[in-house]
Amino acid sequence: MSYIENLLDNKIDSMKKAENVYDTGKIIKVKDYIVEAKGLLNVGFFEQVNIGDKAIGYVIEILANSVIIAILKEYKKINVRDIVYGTNEEFKSYISNHYIGRIFDIFGEDKLVNKPFTDLAKIKIENPNIPFMDRTSVSRPLLTGISGIDLIFPVGKGQRQLIIGDKKTGKTQLTLDIIVNQKGKKVLCIYVAIGKTKKEVKEIYYELSKRGALEYTMILAAFNDEKPTVLSLTPYIALSIAEYYLSYKHDVLVVIDDLKRHADAYREISLISGKNPGRDAYPSDIFYTHSRMLEKGCQHKNGGSITIIPVVETKGGDITDYISTNIISITDGQIVLSSKNFNKGQKPAIDYGLSVSRLGGAVQEESMKILGAKVRRILLDYIEKREVYELANFDEMSPTLKSEMINGKRILDNLNQYKYSPKTKEEIIESFDFIKELK
Amino acid sequence: MIGKIIALSELNVKILLNSSKEVKIGDILFSSENNAFFEIAEIEGNIAIGIPFYRVTGLKRGIILSKLDTGLNIQYSDEILGKVFNSYGDLLDGQKFKKETKRTVYIDNPDLSDVNTEGEILWTGIKIIDFFAPLEKGFKMGLLGGAGVGKTVLIKELINNVYTNFGSNAVFVGIGERSREGKELYDEMKEANLLDKMTMIFGQMGENPTSRSKAIYGGLTLTEYLRDEKKQDVLLFIDNMYRYVQAKSEISTELKQMPVENGYPTTMVSDISVIEERINSNSNGTITSFQAIYVPADDMNDEAVQAIISHMDGQIVLDRKIAEKNLYPAVNVFKTRSKLIDVEKIGEKHYNLVEEVIKYLTRHEELEEIIAVLGIEELSIEDKNIFFRSRKLRNYFTQPMHVAEDYTNIKGEVVDIKDVLFDVESILEGKYDDVDESEFAYIGRYHGKEHND
Repeated sequence: MSYIENLLDNKIDSMKKAENVYDTGKIIKVKDYIVEAKGLLNVGFFEQVNIGDKAIGYVIEILANSVIIAILKEYKKINVRDIVYGTNEEFKSYISNHYIGRIFDIFGEDKLVNKPFTDLAKIKIENPNIPFMDRTSVSRPLLTGISGIDLIFPVGKGQRQLIIGDKKTGKTQLTLDIIVNQKGKKVLCIYVAIGKTKKEVKEIYYELSKRGALEYTMILAAFNDEKPTVLSLTPYIALSIAEYYLSYKHDVLVVIDDLKRHADAYREISLISGKNPGRDAYPSDIFYTHSRMLEKGCQHKNGGSITIIPVVETKGGDITDYISTNIISITDGQIVLSSKNFNKGQKPAIDYGLSVSRLGGAVQEESMKILGAKVRRILLDYIEKREVYELANFDEMSPTLKSEMINGKRILDNLNQYKYSPKTKEEIIESFDFIKELK
Repeated sequence: MIGKIIALSELNVKILLNSSKEVKIGDILFSSENNAFFEIAEIEGNIAIGIPFYRVTGLKRGIILSKLDTGLNIQYSDEILGKVFNSYGDLLDGQKFKKETKRTVYIDNPDLSDVNTEGEILWTGIKIIDFFAPLEKGFKMGLLGGAGVGKTVLIKELINNVYTNFGSNAVFVGIGERSREGKELYDEMKEANLLDKMTMIFGQMGENPTSRSKAIYGGLTLTEYLRDEKKQDVLLFIDNMYRYVQAKSEISTELKQMPVENGYPTTMVSDISVIEERINSNSNGTITSFQAIYVPADDMNDEAVQAIISHMDGQIVLDRKIAEKNLYPAVNVFKTRSKLIDVEKIGEKHYNLVEEVIKYLTRHEELEEIIAVLGIEELSIEDKNIFFRSRKLRNYFTQPMHVAEDYTNIKGEVVDIKDVLFDVESILEGKYDDVDESEFAYIGRYHGKEHND
């Protein structure tokens, strides 16, 4: 019997004794996972409600004569006339000291053994915003071990850096590489799987386990077959957990894989609850849904930080669709992965023209900063010229152009890196030794 | 007691009033023990709809509400300088006012007779802007660009250049943008000892839509104080105007108002007009505004973007394709324009050079396509000249920026328009035909170099 059922049983027992029952109501309408109930006169917004032993939900709208409830877990089919019980408490998730190294869900259950953790404490789904004056500038590097990122599009502690690309371009792999590279660097990692299959999550678990990354990594998963409501709340809870560690001055890295799936789950809930559709049928508050989530990323003045690496999947290499541009406009930069580069054998398949880090050299140490700026300039110059002179005869090129072509190619080749083969800062600098004599 | 809550959702609180006479649109009802504040947006009989200032988690039916003495207001005195406000007029930096002197943030727009249209040219020291889209005092300049093409960097550079040379006070209104950038701007201004010459107000992207839609009103009130009471030529930076419309759409969806295309509210065009008409110069002083305009989904034809642009005197368009080539500021000169590009305003020389450069760059685009098929060797001498000179021009219009020194590792430059005109003329005349094009990238003025050698 699961923890939740246990909880429910206890609840029902106490209800029979009329303990902790604050308010009751009756279901009058069921529409997928959105239900309407009469009664519940004293219920609060976002309060957790239980529908007998059948389901758990929370209040998303209080109308004059009824209440709209979003269902998170449904053990048995809900029927009209079922009784709903209020809890007089806002819906909360759980935190445990034993999350590290495990796969768990927002109900505090250890998914590897299907049992709840024993030391669960409640935490809010969303905390208030980080106060304006508590932020300080993002300036400490978070090394990824990937030379193309650490040199050219560096990530700092407290930065939000998006990874975006089509299916099969190595997005998840890149996030795993980054997590593995945090070993021994005192960074707590939270990998958040949204709408991934159980098989995928288990594979990720084994990959991280093999490389010793589970000593400092926890995996919060909302599987593909969970209700969209669970998918939509999961990343907020991950950040709530991150904020808990932030309050103890830890550096936390949160990978959210992925936000396109999250946006789609949120759209589904909105449309089912009857909200007006906007662009591409997403509701008007889809920007706010992501902006307030990603604004949790920060370098706090207490010394701790939350770095967020969200992932977005695109179609046909188009990063200008609605959701992608929304998220790009929130994050502090993006690593764009291209399937063309991937197929050409360039790993990681970074599109160096479209990728950006808005923080740039501010989060690099001096040596990396100087080298990075130079590599970037020569490389982008080469990528652009390569197209213009595609048909030109190499032998007839001016000596300057010739050397630009040769060096550009060499830099591009040098940025190739196979998975799980991170490079230290020193190794990266050494591998670009040849660039010294270039102008 | 003035009323009580009878229904609520995230952004829509229904309030039963004791009497409809006591409450009007724009009043603020509150319950202090619940930290709940609502601005009244609609009234029907004795039912009022309020939009909440903060999140509504935990609020219930039956909560009793009282009324604040005044609607939304903000400090209206010299004390605003050096301060940071939130959208509701509270200070974010923990400071206190010595004397509270507040004014409502909502006032009537200036009449035709109040509006002053005269102004002198205002050079920014940024080559590509001064050359293709010069502006004058009292100007409204739109800064357009999709996500991540360098809007905010350009705004910061403008603050740095214009405002350091301008000597006047400035107002920065942050709407729906990153808190990190807001805080960093604050820190940078403080470090540069510029903070006490400006005032800032933020309703950033982590805030709820009410906050994001209200920042502009407070910001304009602060600007009006500097213009009307201090009789100044004020610089107003708005980053980002689109986010105002976005916040408004979120609210109108929750109020179940009828949407138009892409979920924008029916009243979008008039909402924007009311705000934009309030930004005007009068006999007391001028307001020169730079308004960043986010372009959703890279779609320039977006209704909200178009509605904002129609109020601008000029626009600077940033383009992803140009940013991709590492040409910053990534300005698309074909879409960038200014009402000042007029022989009478900027003089014949400047005007003719702009025409000539645009002609060159247009041909350059055509030639690129030809080259892609035939290769560069097939071009006539004349076309080859145009092609290579255009590439030099393109490089020349990049510029090292003070605020981007961290990315580029090159020191920022301010360039005089006279130097720009001289350099451009020389490139067009072919004086530098044998200089490598890379010599022109990320420099200030070029002919200065020649003299130094």
